[in-house]
Amino acid sequence: MGRRKFRLDVTSTRTRRILFYLTLILLPLLAGVICLCIGRYTTTAGETLAALGRILTQGVEQGDNLAKIIRDMRLPRIVLAVLVGAGLSVAGLAFQSLFANPMASPDTLGVAAGASFGAVLALLFDAGTLATQFVALLMGFVAVGLTLSIGKGKGSERSLTSMILGGMVISSLFSALISLVKLVADTDSKLPAITYWLMGSLDSATWYTVAFALPFIAGGILVLYAIRWRLNILPMSEDEIQASGSDVNTLRIITALASTMITAACVSTCGQVGWVGLLIPHICRMALGSDNMVLVPASVSVGAVFMILVDTAARSLSPSEIPVSVLTAIIGAPVFIGLLRKTGGWSL
Amino acid sequence: MSAAFEVRNGCFGYPHGRQVLKNVSFAVQKGEMLAILGPNGAGKTTMLRCMMGFLKWTSGQSLLDGEDIAGMSHRKLFSRVAYVPQAKNATLASSVKDMVLLGRSSQYNIFGKPNAKDRQMVTDTLARLGLSAMAECSCAELSGGELQMVLIARAIVAEPQIIILDEPESNLDFKNQLIVLKTLRSLAEQGITCIFNTHYPVHALRHADKALLLDKSGNVRFGSTSEVITEENMRNAFGVETVIGQIETPHNEYADVLAVNTLPDDPALPEESSEESEMEPMTQITGDENTRLATLSIIVEDRENAEKINAMLHEYGQYVIGRMGMPYPKKEVSIICVVIDAPETVISTLSGKLGQLRGVSMKTTYSKK
Repeated sequence: MGRRKFRLDVTSTRTRRILFYLTLILLPLLAGVICLCIGRYTTTAGETLAALGRILTQGVEQGDNLAKIIRDMRLPRIVLAVLVGAGLSVAGLAFQSLFANPMASPDTLGVAAGASFGAVLALLFDAGTLATQFVALLMGFVAVGLTLSIGKGKGSERSLTSMILGGMVISSLFSALISLVKLVADTDSKLPAITYWLMGSLDSATWYTVAFALPFIAGGILVLYAIRWRLNILPMSEDEIQASGSDVNTLRIITALASTMITAACVSTCGQVGWVGLLIPHICRMALGSDNMVLVPASVSVGAVFMILVDTAARSLSPSEIPVSVLTAIIGAPVFIGLLRKTGGWSL
Repeated sequence: MSAAFEVRNGCFGYPHGRQVLKNVSFAVQKGEMLAILGPNGAGKTTMLRCMMGFLKWTSGQSLLDGEDIAGMSHRKLFSRVAYVPQAKNATLASSVKDMVLLGRSSQYNIFGKPNAKDRQMVTDTLARLGLSAMAECSCAELSGGELQMVLIARAIVAEPQIIILDEPESNLDFKNQLIVLKTLRSLAEQGITCIFNTHYPVHALRHADKALLLDKSGNVRFGSTSEVITEENMRNAFGVETVIGQIETPHNEYADVLAVNTLPDDPALPEESSEESEMEPMTQITGDENTRLATLSIIVEDRENAEKINAMLHEYGQYVIGRMGMPYPKKEVSIICVVIDAPETVISTLSGKLGQLRGVSMKTTYSKK
């Protein structure tokens, strides 16, 4: 036929499949260990592993600064990067299937704007990290709830177009509310904090924030992983979805809820981190084809690796931390353009 | 035994809208091909969607092997009925293999995953339809005809009893139309009931066993194709003057439907009484009393059909003014010659019916007046 594109073949034999999954597991581990060594306090891989061993076996003793830094600062941050990177990538992938639109991103339903508004509001009232996270999560769900109720047509039918339009309306509503909060915020003490938070950063990572985000993100990823074959049907017409033996509305709502849960938890923990949900699924598609059976695990792994690397750059490139969303955009845009030109075209 | 698929008194109208379908009733048997015809806007697609429960009948029911589908789960229903949508330009870049594999999804619940056996079935189905070479291609790069065949493959990999297709040969060129229709015929011969929408009366006449004709006022005619696709019915349903005839070659005769003229729209439409599913429209033809003289010369190779023809001619006894029958044992054929004096529509209906019989060659010659 001569129309075969070059794609990595990872499914045709058992050996290939095993190698593929092994790579997906090992890559983030490797990236994690390497990035654990990087930071203001430079260490070698040997020292880092030794310190990790100490943390795991005997706990951190008084005066063991390296172990303390690794346990309390670098490790939770890397775990959070894994969660956020993996979560946003899979959520983006799922939304692209759901809306049959390669441009869909995790905040299509307005969840990011809603969660950001919640966080900004909490910051205005000097709430603590966990309280901010909680209010943000809550507002994220409120925003999606509003979007779905706008998008709900007659009866139980939900048209995708009205869901997208609803998302746009709710997004811009909450963006306006964020501007309003910024307007009334104290310009010396609060506005910088709000602005910085909105730019997105993982520096709030502690084991507490990680523990708060974990169930939502991991839960959402597990759900999407479990229905990953159905994600292949999701972009098709309603009749085709129905004829595949699954109920359209159930499938759409499960997908939307799982993705929303992930996105709300990510945004409430580390602000708006753009690009990941768009960039990673498309990079995976370009390399692996369109089968979500393969793409879901691949996006989890590649997203995690990407986020670990970007966040490590964000915290160690310059003396003051660079907001992670700035870096994702600076790295993401050119990489993406390059890939697009090389492989030619947007498609699902 | 109950019919493979049956619709009983199906009615459908949108809330606050016009009634689209009125009292549709029909039944198809295992291994039959049913073509659904009708002008644009008559509700062909609506009807397909109602049949499968995508839309709910406002009254009436669809029965699968005698069981009402309204009470079935999606999975149960769609593991027995497969749906083939119109092949529009796919934006999906899935490989053909993955696309066809999705046909197996009705066998599983929402968390299910296909196994090696399912993948083997995909390989076998692609081979059976001659699509193996494109297994790894992306669906976005296929031509319309190829995509339609892939969608058919996706339907039959589910091993359905019934396959329902929405205009499977629209947007295809001559060759691909024929490939699709022949594929359907071979599926029917394997016992899969095929129901399809079509814009082409001639496809129904040439390839289907039964036809269902919808018109804009929601009336329905159902029966064997040669009974439904008549010049009169075409005129009533489509508002078009047609000629239904046969193209002869030394080896075969091919039914053809030719649209020759549009008729002015009649505002006072609601025509005659609307009895649906009349099996014998030919006996109730009224109005047109202009009869014509015609001879039908028939060569029959099959003895059983010779008897069917006799029975058929008997039905038309009132028009027959003379007949001659003669066996020719040397070639194991019978030769029949009939002269009839009847309205044109009757003659063309009879010719159509005779022409449909297997092993029958025939020719109709009309008098000049």
